[in-house]
Amino acid sequence: MVELTSLAAVAAAIRHGKVSPVEVTRYCLDRIARLDGRLRAFITVDADGALAAARRLEAEAARGQWRGPLHGVPLAFKDLCAIGGLPTSCGTRARDYFTAEQDCTAVRRLLDAGGVNLGKLNMTELAMGALGDNPHHGHARNPWAPEHCTGGSSSGSGVAVAAGLAAGAIGTDTGGSIRLPAAFCGITGLKPTYGRVSRAGAMALSWSNDHIGPMARTAADCALMLQAMAGPDPLDATASVHPVDDYVAALDGPVRGLRIGVAEALLGQGLTAEMQAAVRAAASVFGTLGARVEAVRLPDLQAVADVTGLISRSEGSTLHAGLLRDRPEELGAFTRARLELGLGVPAFDYLQALRLRARLARSFIREVWGEVDALVAPVIAEPAPPLSFAVEGDVQTIVERQGRFSRLTRPFNGLGMPALSLPCGFSAAGLPLGFQLVGRPFDEAIVLRLGHAYQGATDWHRRVPALAA
Amino acid sequence: MSEHKFQQAELADLVGVIERLAGELSLAEEPARFAAALEDGAPRAGGPPAPGSRSAR
Repeated sequence: MVELTSLAAVAAAIRHGKVSPVEVTRYCLDRIARLDGRLRAFITVDADGALAAARRLEAEAARGQWRGPLHGVPLAFKDLCAIGGLPTSCGTRARDYFTAEQDCTAVRRLLDAGGVNLGKLNMTELAMGALGDNPHHGHARNPWAPEHCTGGSSSGSGVAVAAGLAAGAIGTDTGGSIRLPAAFCGITGLKPTYGRVSRAGAMALSWSNDHIGPMARTAADCALMLQAMAGPDPLDATASVHPVDDYVAALDGPVRGLRIGVAEALLGQGLTAEMQAAVRAAASVFGTLGARVEAVRLPDLQAVADVTGLISRSEGSTLHAGLLRDRPEELGAFTRARLELGLGVPAFDYLQALRLRARLARSFIREVWGEVDALVAPVIAEPAPPLSFAVEGDVQTIVERQGRFSRLTRPFNGLGMPALSLPCGFSAAGLPLGFQLVGRPFDEAIVLRLGHAYQGATDWHRRVPALAA
Repeated sequence: MSEHKFQQAELADLVGVIERLAGELSLAEEPARFAAALEDGAPRAGGPPAPGSRSAR
């Protein structure tokens, strides 16, 4: 039996007849049945649907018909992706908060490439919050330490992949919501360039800052998933028509000679000693691979974070004003406070922020990408805190704590640039450490290549949590 | 500080930052230039830039 060491390994095993789609799907469903009662990765498990799909794919494979590179691979999707026949809670108390005329484009493309849908994954309420708690569906539990946070908002995506419940998952990232759970849970997650993956059929939190992306064990897995997900979509006017690279083919391209900038300003922002050492060690690996590693000065990222935050607050409140107005008692205190804040943003300042964002992105592109090909930066300043950190204390305290964990990720949402979160060690307490690789707009190929090379030289991504049945 | 006062202070801080930064904006600046910036900043067609390239965009 193949274990879910990587999505690519599962796909290859199926293709070579070493394991069947039904066997792999049953393996995942069995792990979900045994483990998810306490991990809380899933909101909805679609066992019947998954097995039916796996049987169809198995029959097709027996006839020599292959839908794509993900044929028979079990996947799961954040519960803000509309999928026909399944409810979409978006982490709210309502069973079916979000409906769309069409299924989520990114999900559909992964299923068209042969993926099997295991179900819908836990998340923070309305995709708000960096830590992964949820008052309605149970707090997702970090597989490395169940009393610690998973990171959010794509909490279930991080847990499902880390715990081997699914080979890959979709997450969404408005201020760090793919990269944070990837880092907290010790997996790999890619926030692509803004517009690289269609947002159609997924609940929006901020149409200007939302990104949909893959979460999996490795950079190569993320490349396989992104290959299926990326590209223009008539259902999303913000989906770019920029040509889609061959991400899988680019994985093994040269690293020698690439220039890697170390974001020293971010490394100085309150990182624990072990996190700082781990990120610096990760940067040095690229040197051993032949890249030129050098410190780089960045423009003012706090300004970018503030601009991005104001845009997200304003758009999120506009989108979800009905829930806030009609059923505020259903909302958790943190979510309600964030939505109320956004209602107070004057239109004048919202529009100024959108204008500023354009200028800040141009400045960053000119000042940074003229000097280096990719950035190494921390993704979290400290490893996953205890769950009590997310749920105990007054609203002001929780808002401040949540903000602490998105300050290193949010700027790259506003800038729209691709950012890949990778595991790079463990704390003394056994919690995952992580860093992010940031690249030029639409240059996911280089970011994934560097991530793949890093994972070829290290084994952090191969470590799995010990989970007793 | 009450929750309401905290939110008011947070909003005032955010708005203050935006208004300070926006003072430097040119009249030509508009939101749609963000998507154009991403396109302009992308590697040229035909794939990623050559290793070590120094193409200023």
